Amino acid sequence: MNTHLVSLRSYVLTWLALLGLTVLTILIGFANLGQFSVLIAVSIAAVQASLLAAVYMHALFGPTLVRVIVAGGIVWFLFFLTQTLGDYMTRGWVPFPGK
Amino acid sequence: MSEAATLALREQFATPRQQRETASIGMWVFVVSEMMIFSALFVGFAVYRLSSPHPFDIGSGEMELTLGSINTVLLICSSFTMALAVYNAESGNQRWLVLFLLITMFLGSLFLGIKLTEYYDHFRDHKVPALWFHYAGSSAGKVQMFFIFYFIMTGLHVIHLVVGLGLLLVMVVRSLVGAFSPEYHTPILMTGVYWSFVDVIWIFLYAIFYVPGFHIK
Repeated sequence: MNTHLVSLRSYVLTWLALLGLTVLTILIGFANLGQFSVLIAVSIAAVQASLLAAVYMHALFGPTLVRVIVAGGIVWFLFFLTQTLGDYMTRGWVPFPGK
Repeated sequence: MSEAATLALREQFATPRQQRETASIGMWVFVVSEMMIFSALFVGFAVYRLSSPHPFDIGSGEMELTLGSINTVLLICSSFTMALAVYNAESGNQRWLVLFLLITMFLGSLFLGIKLTEYYDHFRDHKVPALWFHYAGSSAGKVQMFFIFYFIMTGLHVIHLVVGLGLLLVMVVRSLVGAFSPEYHTPILMTGVYWSFVDVIWIFLYAIFYVPGFHIK
């Protein structure tokens, strides 16, 4: 058995993409976009994380159950994030007495 | 089936592929549970950052941006060399496997050295929360909160990195004694998954702690 899960070309292209996205993140940092700089930087980080998980961690090439586990983790995280922020960000909206 | 594959196949599995996929699923359950540990910290950070963005920007302005950026590149390169180690394990190129594992360890150690240098700089600048903290401006408490998140999250990441270096060392030793073959190299694959996970966490840490500081410096 001499098969590769991922080709050498895919590894190299992923590496170049990750480095390119890091340069883009640094440029975003210098661009002075206020609070949007973090938001854009985290979005770029999410793309980089997806590349790493798909190619270097072989999530795209392994068993289907792996992708189900990853999707479950991401959905859980997004639920956790949105519900928590939804709570904290809306607390001042309604003037409950004694709050 | 070759002798190496027969030896590598545990009795509860029908084929080496089934054994490898079972390990992969187990590893990913572990990775996602690790992700949940970091998630609590990321969500906590998001809540505090949204409630006091300016003091958190000031905290980011205290970061060593050059060192942070170099560390990001180092970890990305180490994930690449780890992937090349996996590639050579699949091919059965023992020498190249060991070489790429050693390069990955070297890059990881460089990251660790730079991170410890940064910690020393924060100590020198009185930016260690609770123990050794001084900030002259207003909102000192909120700036300190930034550093509490910074030390807990990067510290937890460093612990994971050190565990990764230990795993790599074990893989180097096992590779040298010929424990792996094209038929059986699952531990190398799983170490690769773990090492890239450490990289994933750092990429997010870099985005939230360092990037806002670029336009402040």
